[in-house]
Amino acid sequence: MTTTDRTLAEPAPRDTNVRYNQIGKPLVRTDAPGKVTGRTPYAGDYTMPKMLHAKVVRADLASARLKRIDVTRARALPGVACVLTAADMPDRNIATDIPGQTGRDRLKTDQQVLVRERVRYFGEPLALIAAESRDVAEAAALLVEVELEPIAGVYDPEEALKPGAPIVTAPDNVVATYRIRRGDVEAGFAAADVIVENTYRTQFQEHAFLEPEVGLAWVDENGVVNIRVSTQVIEHFRAVADALGLPHNKVRVLGAMVGGGFGGKEDVTVELYLAILAMHTRRPVRLEYSREDSFVGHGKRHPFKLVYRTGVTRDGRITALDVQALADSGAYVFLSPYVLLYCAVNASGPYRVDNLNVFARAVATNNMFTSAFRGFGGMQACAAYEQQMDEVAGAIGMDRLEFRRRNLLRTGEPMATGFVPPSSIWTEKCADLAWEALGEQTPDDGPVKVGRGIACYQQSYGRLTFLKDTSEAWVGVEIDGTVTVRSGVTDIGAGQASSLAHIAAEILGVTLPNVIVYNSDSQVTPLAGTTTATRALYMTGNAARQAAAALRERLVAVAAEVLGAAPDAIELASNRVAVADDPARGMSFAELVRLCAARGVHRSELAIFRAPFTSPLDPETGQGQAHPDYVYGAHAVEVAVDTETGEVRVLKCIAAHDVGQCINRAAVEGQIEGGTQNGLGYALTEEMLYREGRLVTPSFSEYLMPTAMDMPRVQSIILESRSGIGPFGAKGIGEPALTPVAPAVANAVADAIGARVFEYPITPERVVRAIAGRDRAGAAAGG
Amino acid sequence: MHSDFDLHLAADLDDALASLAPAAGEAGRPAAMALAGGTNLIVDLRGRRARPRRLVGIGRLEGLRWLRVDAGGIAMGARTTVTDLLESPALAAAAPALHGAARVFAGQMVRNAATVGGNIACGSPAADLVPPLMALDAEVVLEGPAGTRRVALADFYTGYKADVRAAGELITEIRCPPRPAGSANLFYKLARRQGDAITVVGVAVALEAAAGRCRAARIALGAVAPVPLRARAAEALLAGATLDAPAIARAAESAAAAASPIDDIRATAGYRREMVAVLTRRLLTRAWQAIG
Repeated sequence: MTTTDRTLAEPAPRDTNVRYNQIGKPLVRTDAPGKVTGRTPYAGDYTMPKMLHAKVVRADLASARLKRIDVTRARALPGVACVLTAADMPDRNIATDIPGQTGRDRLKTDQQVLVRERVRYFGEPLALIAAESRDVAEAAALLVEVELEPIAGVYDPEEALKPGAPIVTAPDNVVATYRIRRGDVEAGFAAADVIVENTYRTQFQEHAFLEPEVGLAWVDENGVVNIRVSTQVIEHFRAVADALGLPHNKVRVLGAMVGGGFGGKEDVTVELYLAILAMHTRRPVRLEYSREDSFVGHGKRHPFKLVYRTGVTRDGRITALDVQALADSGAYVFLSPYVLLYCAVNASGPYRVDNLNVFARAVATNNMFTSAFRGFGGMQACAAYEQQMDEVAGAIGMDRLEFRRRNLLRTGEPMATGFVPPSSIWTEKCADLAWEALGEQTPDDGPVKVGRGIACYQQSYGRLTFLKDTSEAWVGVEIDGTVTVRSGVTDIGAGQASSLAHIAAEILGVTLPNVIVYNSDSQVTPLAGTTTATRALYMTGNAARQAAAALRERLVAVAAEVLGAAPDAIELASNRVAVADDPARGMSFAELVRLCAARGVHRSELAIFRAPFTSPLDPETGQGQAHPDYVYGAHAVEVAVDTETGEVRVLKCIAAHDVGQCINRAAVEGQIEGGTQNGLGYALTEEMLYREGRLVTPSFSEYLMPTAMDMPRVQSIILESRSGIGPFGAKGIGEPALTPVAPAVANAVADAIGARVFEYPITPERVVRAIAGRDRAGAAAGG
Repeated sequence: MHSDFDLHLAADLDDALASLAPAAGEAGRPAAMALAGGTNLIVDLRGRRARPRRLVGIGRLEGLRWLRVDAGGIAMGARTTVTDLLESPALAAAAPALHGAARVFAGQMVRNAATVGGNIACGSPAADLVPPLMALDAEVVLEGPAGTRRVALADFYTGYKADVRAAGELITEIRCPPRPAGSANLFYKLARRQGDAITVVGVAVALEAAAGRCRAARIALGAVAPVPLRARAAEALLAGATLDAPAIARAAESAAAAASPIDDIRATAGYRREMVAVLTRRLLTRAWQAIG
């Protein structure tokens, strides 16, 4: 079930009376037929004659010195085209800290392409192999002789901060620090009736996309290195070119439909290895990661330790909040500073906190490096602050929803950084609807206790504004009335391309099947930036809207003249153009385009959309604008907890989000359902475990995502304030769908058992321990 | 997969046994292994944890795929799949423990391929079919160079991934004696998620009652020791007793004491031991209620 609510009085939605023909409806996505019938090619489906197969040889220690690597036997194996080590490579590094086309000064914390001397994490690449078949490449990998000398490593961020700790990133392992300061925290705590302090911990999480990393590279007749790859960011062509010493216009990255990204294909993955091998062998080279390769081949979600200290009055007013956040950055920096910044600016969540102190650090260890993952630090903050809200409400004996209501940020109020989000804030409405939709509570059954939880959130859409983000899209009409959209945007399965078609179809009044999107080619389609940060619809959608609107204006001018009506009386719908109050006066859209062509009217438009450009936040106070805008909503769940075994079953799951405006309602529901699955796994079962940096959950036997057996029905309540700064008032839903899920589950479990598990995932064993702790505390109090 | 073994697809049982017969081995490598569903073995081959010189495919031996549930008890060929078990209403009625284990066994695709014989032979302490079969007093029929013999499943395992099979012996049948009136059997799998998960603790119980007393009890435990095992001391506590709550609690504690679990990524030893007690108590209580 979905609910649309446009009746709220505050604030007045923009465009309230605008009627859309296609926007907001659950249309069949343009990519659906190809996927359903299996005709859609993914990057792994492309092959070429005389293609070689590649393999990456990796270190099996997390901290070591490479004493010796001998590839003689591997090279001698029949069918091996080449085996490359650092000794065969120019001494270049690969940039790790600015995906995409924009960015301020880089942090200069690049990763060695292959290990030259020092191994810093388990799985760091040592050698690249290209061979006539995958079997031969695998066999050659076993013949590479590697001698590693273990070096004391550091595997815990707190240990990494201690004097004398092994140094992974000079000088002190701290890769980023952010502070946010508002008001007077000491005075705030002094004014508090109760102070509640808790420590929350989150885990390494794996993206586990359906399609592991894969690509195919070849050098063409112009000397251009072409790389067809599964990626969220085709604009890594620049990083690849820099690492290879090639001019930027000699590396071309072509995407394909992506089988899931979630941030795990935001950094460079296989494309650099492919380019190196294709240049070296002058033959096409294909590299496909196995699931095991994928698990060690890309960064994970940052584990955080989050210490929350909240001052509150008896009547439920937050007087002060102090947050200390510590993130494990792993062995290389990658996107850790940005993930940390998301955590810092969202540390107080969707609440009004006048006296706030946030101190956040990301620290290097010899664990797997951590980088982008849906929610990007903002969700780890939510995983903690929403548990803390329940703990504080409990401490003052106030209803959990009522306590939230008394502190929620309202439209027009400043958030933690002092920035006033430009859109509506409908958190309370979302929370009330979600809670109400839980309906009648399922009764307890003996030792199985039922509990409920809610979590509200704030999550940005669009990249950090100091990155000065832009996006381009081109829209053109053919003389038969069909429409073409060209844009570099990558489609990672959420319908990014389909949304552009949907937008162009609405504005030009053509039906969706009459629009085609050409996307994801770094040298041919206009560059659209990354498909990350819940930005594709906001950025590229706005660019497509601008382009289509400009085109529409030129077409309508001709129609108005021919039909003898004012331009604003012309309506475009259902592949026809007509006078609004006299539909008989009209013609087909194709006829209009033919007339325009005959007059030499420019029948295409290239538009660029620019996000707000700002300076970085104040380094001392963290005040300023971090993001273009924010999404708000709430997630409510009901769980059943077996108090003897600790098993948790999710019975009900209600997601209420103000998405601003749906473009395709079915696609929005898809994001909400997928985000919920991702969040339930984070809450209950998923954890990448490392022992001394070594991955001990190397397959789907050990890494447990929710199965169909574990998933409850997900009910989406979609609100449309039309207040967002995306096309038609849209906000975004990619990341927000996930953000509140885990803390809602945590709060429901705590409600069921009367004790809290302060660490994700909430495993049966941790539940049992929490109950035992509760009983001991109760006995001590009673005695 | 880079293979370094010979593959022989056996045409019939004699061919399979001849092909599995002991041959000159290579140090540290078994001469031959039987390949049925392959749901464990193929994974081990890929990970180079299993390195037989020869794989003997028994996938064509339809004569080993049958299931019979009747007055003579439960009997099945070793190649009976987990899905075959699941699709038998007669089995569901006669042996809810075994049928229940089939229901929570891995995922659908694995259930379609995995065989009962393979689940026993793989020797995993967490093999889900083994505790219910042990509780049902299953015997394993082995055929090999020295002929045919029967071994009680409870005596089959000799250590972690080690069993009584001589070189060249193949599991061909599994047989359970008939259950008398007034009996009940149940299984519970505790895992980290509902679908397709490796067991953290598995417990199967079987009870026979007569005149208000327990005539015989079986308690079998999975994933809490190097091998699936019977909690014989706990069973002895129940035989002849009236199963009131204290008696059941004593048996549950005894079963927990019989476990020798380890810490691993799924759970700690302490949790596993506690859960043996909890699950044994619950299953005994339910089984007793069912027949009492």
